[in-house]
Amino acid sequence: MSDKKLRAAFAIAGAFAAACSLAETAQAAKSEEKCFGVSLKGKNDCAAGPGTSCAGTSKTDYQGGAWKYVPKGTCTSIVTPKGKGSLEPIAD
Amino acid sequence: MTASVDFDQGAFVRALLDPELPTPNGLEARRGLQPERRFAVYRNNVCVGLVDALAERFPVCRQLVGDEFFRAMARCYVRDLLPRTPMLFDYGNDFADFVSSFEPAREVPYLADVAQLEYAVGQSYHAENAAPLSMDALRALPFDRLAGATAELHPSTHVVASQYPIVSIWRRHMSDDDAAQLELDHGEEALVVRPHLTINVTALPVGGSAFVRALERGEAFGQAVDAASGLTPEFDLTACLQALFLAEAFLAVNVSH
Amino acid sequence: METRSTPERRSEYPASSLPARAGAGFKSAHFADIEAAAPGVGFFEIHAENYMGAGGPPHAQLMRLRRDFPLSIHGVGLSIGGAEPLDREHLRRVKSLVDRYAPAAFSEHLAWSTQGGRFLNDLLPLPYNSTTLAHVVAHVDEIQETLGRPILLENPAAYLRFQSSDYSEIDFLLEIARRTDCRLLLDVTNAYVSATNLDFSAEDYIDAFPMSYVEEIHLAGYAEDADEIGDLLLIDAHCAPVQQGVWRLYDRALTRRGPVATLIEWDNDIPPWPLLLEQATHAEQFLKSRRRAAVDDAGSEALHDGVG
Repeated sequence: MSDKKLRAAFAIAGAFAAACSLAETAQAAKSEEKCFGVSLKGKNDCAAGPGTSCAGTSKTDYQGGAWKYVPKGTCTSIVTPKGKGSLEPIAD
Repeated sequence: MTASVDFDQGAFVRALLDPELPTPNGLEARRGLQPERRFAVYRNNVCVGLVDALAERFPVCRQLVGDEFFRAMARCYVRDLLPRTPMLFDYGNDFADFVSSFEPAREVPYLADVAQLEYAVGQSYHAENAAPLSMDALRALPFDRLAGATAELHPSTHVVASQYPIVSIWRRHMSDDDAAQLELDHGEEALVVRPHLTINVTALPVGGSAFVRALERGEAFGQAVDAASGLTPEFDLTACLQALFLAEAFLAVNVSH
Repeated sequence: METRSTPERRSEYPASSLPARAGAGFKSAHFADIEAAAPGVGFFEIHAENYMGAGGPPHAQLMRLRRDFPLSIHGVGLSIGGAEPLDREHLRRVKSLVDRYAPAAFSEHLAWSTQGGRFLNDLLPLPYNSTTLAHVVAHVDEIQETLGRPILLENPAAYLRFQSSDYSEIDFLLEIARRTDCRLLLDVTNAYVSATNLDFSAEDYIDAFPMSYVEEIHLAGYAEDADEIGDLLLIDAHCAPVQQGVWRLYDRALTRRGPVATLIEWDNDIPPWPLLLEQATHAEQFLKSRRRAAVDDAGSEALHDGVG
């Protein structure tokens, strides 16, 4: 085995041993990293995604028409490249 | 009476999807009424049903651009790309690609990557069940022989790398936690795994997604480390393994003899 | 009470072993409530297509449900009314689900939803004539042969009709059932919605429906909309409690059919579990009084026999 390979094998062995210890400690501490599941706040169903339907809908929304929409995010704490807050385009 | 001819379902579908087209011939409403209003019910069912399906699959994207914008964008997608199977939970596999080339969404540059993460979360949810390696099993591996070993990852494992902090964005919207400012000045590499019944979404250290992809291609740990550190010299193997262990992403490690 | 004659014949093996009780459409949002309370519903029904993933919570929930309740699987994607051949790959998926869970019944719709390899996610209408009849019969035959069991076919909700229809919907359904030996799922809400939208008598429809083929009934709440002249247009939206007119029609159907498995469907604006359970309990009351009436009939017949 070459010197380089030997060093790599050694590094990997060390990383595995260290990661095992760190993971065990984190598991014991029930770190949030361990299990930030989408079950938090009862939103597990979101991950299921859409289901089928054998029903119709009374919500009317099929007309095309010219594009007239701007993104209006509900989350205003993201700092966008155009500055923080609303995602609406900034008027010139 | 004329002999019955095959009903042209292709024409029916074209008219369903394009409200500019006239209502197909041969349809009747109740006496005295035109069929247009009735045909519109089916047009509406198809469009709203599929737009609703996308809204359910991509709830964070919807929040990021608002309901009105999202639905208008989803209508464009629906007209271009109908589902290929009746399994709606699979719908939207190329929605992220669509979003990334969708001009009006340009000013939300992280939207496509968040869509990709949301799709991965859905795939993970429905993926095959399998028992991941326990910490004890990992601990028992012959560490000094792992450079040449390959790994099998849990079938629910997905990685999504972005130049935006997509994991932080996603978490914030899934947990209604809107407290702190979120800077867009760094990227994140998402790891999605569902080892049991709950999905874990975590950020891997930089280079982690290249590492995981190399393992998925069947490369040995040594090669996977080279792949990751070739792309990002600061790749931290220990931190990356720790994240993968905590997420229970390993199904098996095959040490060659 | 006069017992109506049932001229239609059917084979002696039922397609459904669902109990003649009220059931509910299963939604995963209700799983925790159901698990906590073990409610007294007769069965649960699921949409096949939502359980075609490889694993995860959907199958974990379904296995749990299947352990404690009779199960009905309702397909929405086979596109039986389509002119194109069935999607064999999808039929295989249905088969593996049916094989895995061995449900008490499998049902589908007299409608189409796939064209040119694209799924429209709506139950679309077809004309009722000899050409479409041949397609539907061939499709039902193929499905039943693949699944190794009779299926239940459901009458659709209609918003328009075709000039090229030569059969009434009931004659069309009856002909399919006769030729394929499939059974029927009578959706009473669909009958009510179609009758309102197309101006026929819902009572006549129920009175003419081939009840001896019916092995399940569906009930749901519709939504009200308006025609271009302001007349009522009903949408089969499964978004509300079952309306009074539908309950009356249901009772009329039960009078002819006798007690039969009855499902409450609620797919949009899904309510809290107690509200859905309340609807099922209401249906159960209709079934109970029908059962009592049947016992009374049998009793009076026995009395007559004794006298005679």
